Amino acid sequence: MKVYSCCGHDTVVKRIYCPSCGTPDLQELEVSDHGTIYSFTKIHVPPVEFAEIAPYNVVLVQLIDTTAKVTGRLMGEVSIGDSVELDRVEAGAYIYKKV
Amino acid sequence: MTKTYIHGVGMTKFGNHSDRTLKSLLLDASRQALEAAGRPKVDAVFVGNFLAGSMSNQEILGAIVANDLGLGYIPTAKVEGACASGGIALRQGILGIMSGEYDTVLVAGVEKMKHANTPDVTQAINAAMDTESNEKHAGLTFPGFFGVLAHRYFHETGATKEHLAMVALKNRENALNNPLAQFQKATSIEEIMNARLITEPLGLFDCSPMTDGAAAVVLSRKPSAIHVRASALVSGPTQMQDAAELLSIPAIGESGRRAYEKAGLGPEDIDVIEIHDCFSMTEIIAIEELGFFPRLEGWKAVEAGHTKPGGKKPVNTSGGLLSRGHPIGATGLSQIYQLVHQLNGTAPNQVKGARIALAQNLGGTGSYSAVHILERV
Ligand SMILES: [Zn+2]
Repeated sequence: MKVYSCCGHDTVVKRIYCPSCGTPDLQELEVSDHGTIYSFTKIHVPPVEFAEIAPYNVVLVQLIDTTAKVTGRLMGEVSIGDSVELDRVEAGAYIYKKV
Repeated sequence: MTKTYIHGVGMTKFGNHSDRTLKSLLLDASRQALEAAGRPKVDAVFVGNFLAGSMSNQEILGAIVANDLGLGYIPTAKVEGACASGGIALRQGILGIMSGEYDTVLVAGVEKMKHANTPDVTQAINAAMDTESNEKHAGLTFPGFFGVLAHRYFHETGATKEHLAMVALKNRENALNNPLAQFQKATSIEEIMNARLITEPLGLFDCSPMTDGAAAVVLSRKPSAIHVRASALVSGPTQMQDAAELLSIPAIGESGRRAYEKAGLGPEDIDVIEIHDCFSMTEIIAIEELGFFPRLEGWKAVEAGHTKPGGKKPVNTSGGLLSRGHPIGATGLSQIYQLVHQLNGTAPNQVKGARIALAQNLGGTGSYSAVHILERV
């Protein structure tokens, strides 16, 4: 998993300029694929394109050794604090599994 | 600096208008506002709208208002900022007057959503997310964002799903007295708690509905009883994973700080409030961000009844988005409609002696927030 870092703030979203200092030279870091569930929701009413897999969990994962969080999807039961690992990237989505 | 005053407001009933077109709703609210203002000469029109292009195949809303109301060949524009479209349109009107370019401006907002099915509307509304982002591809939705936020809020505070239900119940009880509100059927904590789940922990009553409706405001530099004391607008994070602190919606806090600074007022001075309760959870976060209650303690204020019409800080006396309804582009202006009636002493759930009022209108999951402060002069 890649994160972009500057001024003590890491994000998975790549910005053109750092919002704190304005530099275009944000540092690109490779971080672990592991994290913990920061929060989640189970989506029962999905947009049309996700109707077939509902209900599904959208999870906000706190990554390890970085301040960055990432949004992903996880099937099955889940709680805040659960340890998870990136399983695969599918159609632009990060799919997590519990470990 | 030129001051801005409100001369008239108009609003259609919010709800299901299957027999009416988008245009007829827009013209109806505009006409009401113009007549309430005494049919002034209008120098410009701004229309707040989000979905007319995608769901009604209708754009050029500014020109339609000017043409069909016979306002002449004047400047007009449609303004888009997702659910904050109405509040941003209002601000454009105010800025036009403050600049000296216009004396009198008509601002209207409209949406027509009920003719479509829920999955299609959910899909269309998702246009207000960053559609290239991995979180859109993960299947996140607007109610999904506030579901994620609610689970974390419960985790960090003593709040439970019942506190969300208390917000929904308060707003429904307020709507029972508002003849223009969408929902006028009484409910109970039990019914709200047991309703079908949308995005856990949020159930049906925690989510604002699909609504048809329109609202409008006439602004002028000429004095009236209602002075626009401050107008503020900011953009915020467009993605959940990008928020430095999930339980803060910085656009709400920053727009509030800017509005208070411009007005020379603080949260303690505000008598009556309309805020953007697109979800029950959002109302709790917003009353914290706007400084009415301490951070992570908004749920306690709800429990104590402080946000009811007779409480310390009455919030959403109209019924809010949850029960007045949420015709997206019209919502920001329907807040102004309610607050003008509050300041005139003619509102449903009237707050006695209300003199200073605040409206907060949110777009996306915190992508935009507009705050307006009105005072009776
Ligand atoms: Zn920097």
